[in-house]
Amino acid sequence: MSTMNKLNEIFCEVFDQDDLQIAPEMTANDVDGWDSLSHINLIVAVESAFKIRFNQKELLTFKNVGDLLSSIESKLG
Amino acid sequence: MADIMKQPCQLIRQEQYNIGEICTRQQCLAGRGEKVALRFIPSHGERTDYTFSQLDAHSNRFANLLQQLGLGEGDVFFTFLPKAPEQFFAFLGALKLKAIVGTLFSNFGDDALLDRLGDSGAKGIILRKSALKKIGRIRDRLPSLRFVIVADSEVDLAPDVLSLNRLREDASPEFVAPPTTPDTPSVLHYTSGSTGKPKGVLHRHASVLHQSRTATEVLQLQPDDIYWCTADQGWVTGTSYGIIAPWSLGVTQIHYGGGYDAELWFGILEKERVNVWYTAPTALRMLMREEPEVFLKRELSCLRHIFSVGEPLNPEVSRWGREILAREIYDTWFQTETGGIMISNRPGLEGRDGSMGKPVLDVEAAILSDAGEPLPDFVQGNLCLRPGWPSQFMTYLNNESGYRSKFRGGYYYSGDTAYRDAEGYFHFLGRSDDVINTAGHLISPFEVESALLEIAEVAESGVIGAPDDLLFEKVVAFVALHREHRPSRELELKIRLHVTNRASSIATPQEIVFVDAVPKNKSGKIMRRVLKARYLGTDAGDISTLED
Repeated sequence: MSTMNKLNEIFCEVFDQDDLQIAPEMTANDVDGWDSLSHINLIVAVESAFKIRFNQKELLTFKNVGDLLSSIESKLG
Repeated sequence: MADIMKQPCQLIRQEQYNIGEICTRQQCLAGRGEKVALRFIPSHGERTDYTFSQLDAHSNRFANLLQQLGLGEGDVFFTFLPKAPEQFFAFLGALKLKAIVGTLFSNFGDDALLDRLGDSGAKGIILRKSALKKIGRIRDRLPSLRFVIVADSEVDLAPDVLSLNRLREDASPEFVAPPTTPDTPSVLHYTSGSTGKPKGVLHRHASVLHQSRTATEVLQLQPDDIYWCTADQGWVTGTSYGIIAPWSLGVTQIHYGGGYDAELWFGILEKERVNVWYTAPTALRMLMREEPEVFLKRELSCLRHIFSVGEPLNPEVSRWGREILAREIYDTWFQTETGGIMISNRPGLEGRDGSMGKPVLDVEAAILSDAGEPLPDFVQGNLCLRPGWPSQFMTYLNNESGYRSKFRGGYYYSGDTAYRDAEGYFHFLGRSDDVINTAGHLISPFEVESALLEIAEVAESGVIGAPDDLLFEKVVAFVALHREHRPSRELELKIRLHVTNRASSIATPQEIVFVDAVPKNKSGKIMRRVLKARYLGTDAGDISTLED
């Protein structure tokens, strides 16, 4: 499974929507339920699923799904 | 109450108290039909203006389509939407029909929805497709729910899951609200208590009198103002001051469909030439963390006043407002039950950092002991109000005894504690119960504890509010696991997602502390006071009733 597909599954679980389709340019404003508090759930879920950790500085650079995906892929090497 | 109703008021024509009518048709009759009522700025794409005439027509269509679906006077209808024009049309349309309209925070989970829709016996709801899964999981436990309107579906999805666009095509833009008395039920908001289920705070159409007057007296709205209230319509500020008050005065409102974004927000304040801005301390504290350049590069000469509501405004936020924005930020205080501003700082009143301000016109506030005795200045006590203001709640739906328990000795007990200084300024201190105020939203520890206990691995739970620099209070959960389970990051995630999906994202613990056991007294009651003291490293006080 590609990183994007795995990330999509995480989004569906975190935001409780079965047919959610993410895209790199999507932001919190494009996903119902994605607020600053549920964002923490998303980050914890991503860290857990990919077995990676983000530092505070990295978290601040995520402006959209693409930024998050790039960071995951760079950590996975 | 009756005397207040008889006061001369330009709002009320021919004894018509209908909020929907006052906010739309009455504005058109006053010559404001072509004036912009709502400027909606989506997170992507072009802004859309709706004149008062269009707001009237859109809300009329809603009144008609709801009527065709069988909704009538006294029936309960909910909106469960993120910020969108349909939110406003549906709200006003339902009120025109003399239905009771409730607004639900769009991130509520299954349990939160079930509690509110079930208790109120709601007959209809409007939502987006993304929320259908949540409703689907609880629908069989909502026998009164007759129809679901889907705001973003072009076609009906089931015989009782209906497309808004399809319904709107058949609905007439003409509707005249029936005569509506001041005591006709209007808006329903649920609020959390420290025990039991959330309580349905029911308001009446006469609330518009107080909401409108405080928008003039406190917010100092003027006819040609551009006004922006950032509150979500799921909360009382979002309906009282994000819908009713400004439109009852014919004032143009900005509404933005996206979330917090400092650059974008200040771009809106500048570009839209906002005159009065009503926001929340958490948002202001987030703004304080931004680089000053975000604000200093903006031309904000139109911005006359900034107001805040939800939690106490820290003195450092007030100082930041003066230094960086060159504006006073006025703190206001009210509750879901009060329906409108009761105590406030405001232009013309000498400012006092860290104070809630003084009561507004015709509101009598007092600091009373638990025995009902007035307390001297500077002594902490119960913040109470003399009943009789027009936006005072009518009752807690299906909970008359709970409603009556809030009134003693001729006063309404707010549940907040405060003191009054020698000059008559009130100072907020906290809650007199265990309710958690996080980012201006009241969270019941009981609700979170209940959600936690639904998780198979969790044996015991205790939830407290702890001080937080950003949120005022954060939700902290103490969790004891069944013997065979161990704390893990995966379990923490499971707990977080469960609370989010059952209660709401706001109720989700910011911190989860795994413990061997949760302290309880000998009758099994969770001793949150002890948990809080342990968390804060303070003295827990009398622990003689603590279970062995």
